[in-house]
Amino acid sequence: MMRELYQEMILDHNKNPRNRRTIENTHHHAEGLNPLCGDQVEVYLTIEDDIIQDISFVGHGCAISTASASLMTEALKGKPITEAKAIFEEFHNMLMDAGHVEFSDDLEALEVLGGVKAYPMRVKCASLAWHTFSAALEGKEVASTE
Amino acid sequence: MPPYQTGGGMIRSVTFEKTTYADLPDKFEPGTPNIADAIALKVALDFLDEIGIRQAAEHESRLTQLAMKRLSEIEGVNLHGTTADKAGIVSFTMTCAHPHDIGQILDSEGVAIRAGHHCCQPLMKRLGVPATARASFALYNTEEEVEALVRGVLRVKEVFA
Repeated sequence: MMRELYQEMILDHNKNPRNRRTIENTHHHAEGLNPLCGDQVEVYLTIEDDIIQDISFVGHGCAISTASASLMTEALKGKPITEAKAIFEEFHNMLMDAGHVEFSDDLEALEVLGGVKAYPMRVKCASLAWHTFSAALEGKEVASTE
Repeated sequence: MPPYQTGGGMIRSVTFEKTTYADLPDKFEPGTPNIADAIALKVALDFLDEIGIRQAAEHESRLTQLAMKRLSEIEGVNLHGTTADKAGIVSFTMTCAHPHDIGQILDSEGVAIRAGHHCCQPLMKRLGVPATARASFALYNTEEEVEALVRGVLRVKEVFA
């Protein structure tokens, strides 16, 4: 049962987060806070021709929130903004258990976070980085899961 | 000051012409008082008296010291708050896992703890940790439950090693 939540890929991304760095000189930056548990994440983006050229994050949180941020950067890098938004929506649907969600082959990794839906308290951990990404995209400075 | 809420026990007299409220504090305490909890409080006090408040404190202290000793033997576990004279709580962090992940694994092992910043963000900053895991002990806990906590912490190490 615990293995469904803490799958190998989540443990790996928690231990070795991808794209954990800042990006200098970008206007697309937001901070996300999960006030109840104290998780904090900052997401950086560079956008050219409506395509996410680069995306990164820094911050601290539990394994679920770190792995979700790390997997998110891998999933969204190089994607057009419209597609990135659609991926966020699908990801959100998966966490909320809203109907059947199936990602295309290159995004399959995101499905490891599907186990979170059985633990309502942890859904916010998995969605924090994504809400922060959305805020950075829209030029908002702060995102909160509350 | 007019009453913010109406109910039983808060009036002196009511006529078509005029209502006179009861004296304070009754005027602001309408409805059935919390009788059940007052009765329960007495039963709880009798229960504690029977055991002895000193004995209860000693039991808590014994479990707390045992838990601190057993946890400090595990590599990668850091205890926070180690003064000799302390309440029945043990706060700790682990090198391999965030406190919320510790809490999640312990939960799956049947051990309930509190994890997070405990409404003390400035203290967390002072301690240099984002959050802590915190086990607490009371009259009804046992030495076997301390061992269950220790087994759970070892399980966390297994998962996050």
